Amino acid sequence: MGITRKFFSRWQNWIGLFMVLAFVLIAIFAPLLSPKDVETQGVVSSYLRVPQPPSPDAPLGRLPDQTSVYEALVWGTRDALKFGVGVTAVVFLVGTLIGAVAAFFGGRVNTLLMWAVDSFLAFPIIAGVVFFQQINHNLLVDLLESTEFAGFYSYVVQNPTILESVKPLFTLFMEINPTALAFALLMWMPYARVMNASVMSNKQMEFVLAARVSGAKKGRVIFRHLIPNAIAPVLVLAAKDVGALVVLQTTFSFIGLGHPTPWASALLSGKDWIFSPKGIVTYWWVFLPITVALILFGVGWNLLGDGLIDAMNPRTRQT
Amino acid sequence: MPVFRRLSFSILRSLLTLVLITAVLYATVMLTPPETLASLYMPEKTSPRMTEEMYEAMIQDIIEKYHLDDPFPVQYVYWAGNLLRGNWGYSPNLQENVFNGLTRRAPATLELTFYAIIIYFPLGLLSGVTAGNKKSGIADRLFRTTAFIATSLTPMILAIIMMVVFYITLRWFAPGRLGTAFAPLIEAEGYKAYTGFITIDGLLNRNPGLTVDALRHLAMPAITLAFAQWAILGRITRAAVIEENQKEYITAGRARGLRESTLAWRYALGNATGPVLTHTILSAASLMTSVFVVEIIFNYPGLSTVGVKSLAFIPDAPSAMGFAIYSTVLVLILTTLLDFLKVVVDPRLREES
Repeated sequence: MGITRKFFSRWQNWIGLFMVLAFVLIAIFAPLLSPKDVETQGVVSSYLRVPQPPSPDAPLGRLPDQTSVYEALVWGTRDALKFGVGVTAVVFLVGTLIGAVAAFFGGRVNTLLMWAVDSFLAFPIIAGVVFFQQINHNLLVDLLESTEFAGFYSYVVQNPTILESVKPLFTLFMEINPTALAFALLMWMPYARVMNASVMSNKQMEFVLAARVSGAKKGRVIFRHLIPNAIAPVLVLAAKDVGALVVLQTTFSFIGLGHPTPWASALLSGKDWIFSPKGIVTYWWVFLPITVALILFGVGWNLLGDGLIDAMNPRTRQT
Repeated sequence: MPVFRRLSFSILRSLLTLVLITAVLYATVMLTPPETLASLYMPEKTSPRMTEEMYEAMIQDIIEKYHLDDPFPVQYVYWAGNLLRGNWGYSPNLQENVFNGLTRRAPATLELTFYAIIIYFPLGLLSGVTAGNKKSGIADRLFRTTAFIATSLTPMILAIIMMVVFYITLRWFAPGRLGTAFAPLIEAEGYKAYTGFITIDGLLNRNPGLTVDALRHLAMPAITLAFAQWAILGRITRAAVIEENQKEYITAGRARGLRESTLAWRYALGNATGPVLTHTILSAASLMTSVFVVEIIFNYPGLSTVGVKSLAFIPDAPSAMGFAIYSTVLVLILTTLLDFLKVVVDPRLREES
């Protein structure tokens, strides 16, 4: 395809791709890079709450809770990619569909749907994360009270007399990631807007009129003609969003909202050791590797998106 | 007048948006059974020796009184009516009425947002115009590099850097809202909170030290907030200016002998602010999210404390709802103001549509 060749012809577009591929490879080969069956606690006993400098069994040092930074880094890429790609995929599908359908029908339906989209844009995401975590919590507590165990999670799970049907529900509520849910429900609007504009401008084009005149059904026109031709700008948005959503999730996790991810909990546990009386570089491994990894993750996907913009730009396209 | 018509239409749209959002929020909450819904209306003082029957009776009373058994539209109308009356529920984590808790903490957030906006908005426009006028000039390249750095550093990382540089090392600025020397002054007898903004109230109460202290504590959150937003605004302005500069009236003006600076600042910028304001309107919610994130990181006691406290051990639905709705209202107010500003700045929009 012309776009692929265009993409690979300029060296600037490769940077983003390389960075993203590096993260994907680290995630895939995580068990090789940082084997979990090897005893990584080492000789240092766990009551010592001091970060340990880099050593052979912990290449990037240890956090105050004696977790190896290297291990958190390598295994964290898996969580990051799962979250980023997963949530972006959902959000992409939802937003694109809504935007395309609204634009296809046009007129009042379009105005109404786009007003709803703009309304959702007024809701801050952090409120959504707090809200969904609260609902999760409430449903969980309700479940606890309905089984007449007012107590702690460990007690409930370890208790052998609890009904087997309640436990899966319980673990389900514990595992629904409120951040993922909030993002999936509140981050699709830009996709809808961009897709809407794109489809509106494509709608009047001749190939669409030709399809409709030749008797194609509405669904067929939407799916096989409009969407593929209008999808270019939305793909860019998706590429950039993968990085942005992971960075946002880590920030929320660092603050204390949503489930903890390996990267965020590493930053959290090392938070107090960054400022040490001997200067900031004494315990550099406590925040520097993970921070750099996070920044590179965001920048990598961002550059990939920029490369896609560049490749799809009709003004610079050469035959 | 078309301006007022447009403004009232904009306010109506915001109200309808608020109705839609609250309806969706309440519909989500309705997924829980009525007994849990009753927690939205729990009274302040419950007897410590409550037996199970008393508890059940109280819950049944609440369910009847607030129609928690009825279908969604009825429930929603009663709940929305309660909201409008100021009854947003009682929060056990905050130990006060949710509405009072929110309004007590709102001025802090507004003060921070205000200072961040007056820092980043003019700077963003300035940098964008300067960078856009000479594409690939020195200013442009400097801007693009700095903007790239600004957008890749999340508030979290930037906050850590700022804390280390400005608080630990230099001791110029500090987290929180007021230092230990000045914090008791707010609660003192003679202090009158005219506006709620400590920086202004300090001067009005004839205590400039208070203003300086407040500014010292505001500096880090405001600059952190402004840094990322400046880069985004600058990029949009730059793109808009570049596009404006390619239009024919600029060339025509130049041919007629207008100075470059007049062209850039009076004509091109005026027409470029349209897309800039539109983009700011669309990202108002994201601005609010950043404000809350920065508040939490710097321990600044604003609205975000309500959100954080709602996740403490006691399940606290009212404060989570209240936080969500209040922050949406703030975003909508900001959006309406910006919409009005857009009409004022761009005369083309004053025509009746």
